[in-house]
Amino acid sequence: MTQRDRALLFARRGTLVTAVMLVALAGVYVRALLFTPIERFQGPAQKIFYVHAPAAWSALLAFAVTGVLSILYLWLRDRRLDLAGAASAEVGVAFSVIMLTTGPIWGKPIWGTWWTWDARLTSTLFIFLLFVGYIVLRGALVDPEMRARYSAVIGIMGLVLVPFIHFTVFLFRTLHPDPILMKPDKPSLPGDMLLTLLMSFGVFTVLYVGFLAQRYALGLLEDLRDEEAAGHAVS
Amino acid sequence: MGEMLRAAMAIAVKDLAVEWRTKTALVSSLAFAVLVLAVLFFARDPTAVSAVDVAPGALWVTFTFAAMIGLNRAFLMERENRALDGILLAPVPRTALFLGKVAANLAFVAAVEVVSVPLFVLFYDVPLWDRLPALALVIGTATFAFVVVGTLLSSMVVRTRFSEIMLPLLLLPFLVPPVVGAVQVTARILAGRPLSEAAGWLRLLLAFDIVFFAISTLLFTATLDE
Amino acid sequence: MLRAEPVLAARGVSRRYGHRRVLFDVNLEILPGQALLLVGPNGAGKTTLLRVLAGLLRPSGGSVERRGSVSMVAHHSMLYDVLTARENLRFFARLHGVARQRVDELLEQLGLAPRADERVAAFSRGMTQRAAIARALLPDPELLLLDEPLTGLDDASSRVVLDVLAALRDRGRAMAIASHQLAELMGLVTAVGFLKEGRLLAVEPTDGRGTDSIMGRYRSLMAHG
Repeated sequence: MTQRDRALLFARRGTLVTAVMLVALAGVYVRALLFTPIERFQGPAQKIFYVHAPAAWSALLAFAVTGVLSILYLWLRDRRLDLAGAASAEVGVAFSVIMLTTGPIWGKPIWGTWWTWDARLTSTLFIFLLFVGYIVLRGALVDPEMRARYSAVIGIMGLVLVPFIHFTVFLFRTLHPDPILMKPDKPSLPGDMLLTLLMSFGVFTVLYVGFLAQRYALGLLEDLRDEEAAGHAVS
Repeated sequence: MGEMLRAAMAIAVKDLAVEWRTKTALVSSLAFAVLVLAVLFFARDPTAVSAVDVAPGALWVTFTFAAMIGLNRAFLMERENRALDGILLAPVPRTALFLGKVAANLAFVAAVEVVSVPLFVLFYDVPLWDRLPALALVIGTATFAFVVVGTLLSSMVVRTRFSEIMLPLLLLPFLVPPVVGAVQVTARILAGRPLSEAAGWLRLLLAFDIVFFAISTLLFTATLDE
Repeated sequence: MLRAEPVLAARGVSRRYGHRRVLFDVNLEILPGQALLLVGPNGAGKTTLLRVLAGLLRPSGGSVERRGSVSMVAHHSMLYDVLTARENLRFFARLHGVARQRVDELLEQLGLAPRADERVAAFSRGMTQRAAIARALLPDPELLLLDEPLTGLDDASSRVVLDVLAALRDRGRAMAIASHQLAELMGLVTAVGFLKEGRLLAVEPTDGRGTDSIMGRYRSLMAHG
């Protein structure tokens, strides 16, 4: 199978998976709005949680995948690992944006403030910024081999940084508790809500896979285009 | 091992000699440090916030930003005339190059810090002299943390355009644990609290130093041409 | 002639820069006492080949085997402008584990002694190139790789460089030189390698052939490959 065939296969399957999952997402939301009871303390605002938490999960999953692919790249030096890692980072940034916008919308009625330096929120913000840097760095490098190595270094460093940032914010918060109306930790959910949330987690995870496949396919095609351009330049 | 350290030392001494000839980075970093200390002093309402409350933050913003001016210099001097090739052709392990660069950068940032601390005491009127050993400890551990990561990153960003912007963009997320930790410990030192109160932060700083020194040393060779 | 062990053997070396292929299946042996001239049009891959042979670039395919130390003189001087010639050489001497005395010897040999304590930034192109060669000679390398060593040099500097290289060759050291200046180098080289579009088409001994004969061969190879 040629690289183009493989790319097109990934693109088709990715599009299919994404389309199915977007329908499923709509389904989850219908269920969340109409068939899941309203949370007693938080009211309707809690509904946003069904997007917010799964988006955060997908973002961190995406960054973790980038980190693991970075390690594999430096080991195996296969260009496809770099393309997949970069694709995952971009998808992660997209999910982070969802997470970082829905968070404050939920936080305003629940915590009484748009932003709080909560451990999870803050960690995600900095990891998000780190991967924005990752993407900017990729844009600033021309040689694909060098770009792959440098991205892998940042990807691995990011993977190691996450627990440190989380622990930093945790230490900071335990020492300076802010006035919060409600604990950011998830309350133990009753069955219906838990099921909806779990369904949403599932949908977001598969949605991540769909986005990843499409972005990876695009990466393969870009790579092919560059290769053809280089071939023309020589002959 | 002895050979590696000797080579690293030679590289560090050469780096400092090059810097000492021009003093461009050193003078800019020092001037920058003075400016930041002064500006941050005025960036508060003096009737509501006392200088000592903003002092720890001011000190660490000064250190990190002044250091960032100097960090790219270490690899920029190797780009000019590609002297780096000469080092890579010599029979020294590539890790020695990283260790040498870290040592030179540490010396550079230490020089900025040694000048900044007395100014800091002067500007912010903080009672410090008896707590100097504790402060030196936290400055040492936190500086090591961001110099190690900064050296690794600068080895990559000097290959890009806009390296002056790229370094802070990539480095700042890595500054969160060491700088937040350093500010917290410094605040306790300035408040005259015992160091044991900040044991958690000191452990975090130390763990960061060890983990990122190991991983940066390992990853460094991937930042060189091959 | 005695069959000596090659100081360097490249087998099936290829190299890509990203998607661009720069070298294809280069096979090359360099023997002690051999002075190989690499010729080819701009972009033929001469500089890349030298950097791969030096070990500064990893081959994308194939292998390079080196026996003994390899040094390189490139377009860029690999020296620090703000340090003096002596300081530069002393630094690299420390990295090579070479005695300081060797630095003074080389400064003398390349005619740099009178200005050894001036900054390299103040040097002319010829002086800089001589300092770069002194740096490369610090470890007394078995193989010296030179990329356009005579470009931009006046007659006097060219003379110094050629004399030093000839003495090196006569001591049984090997060298590979990428250059367009065939005429100037004819007295020095013992073999010529023809490089075209990343392929080493032929390596032939000079055997007392004149410049014209080699130029003729070059043109026919470049035209028909």
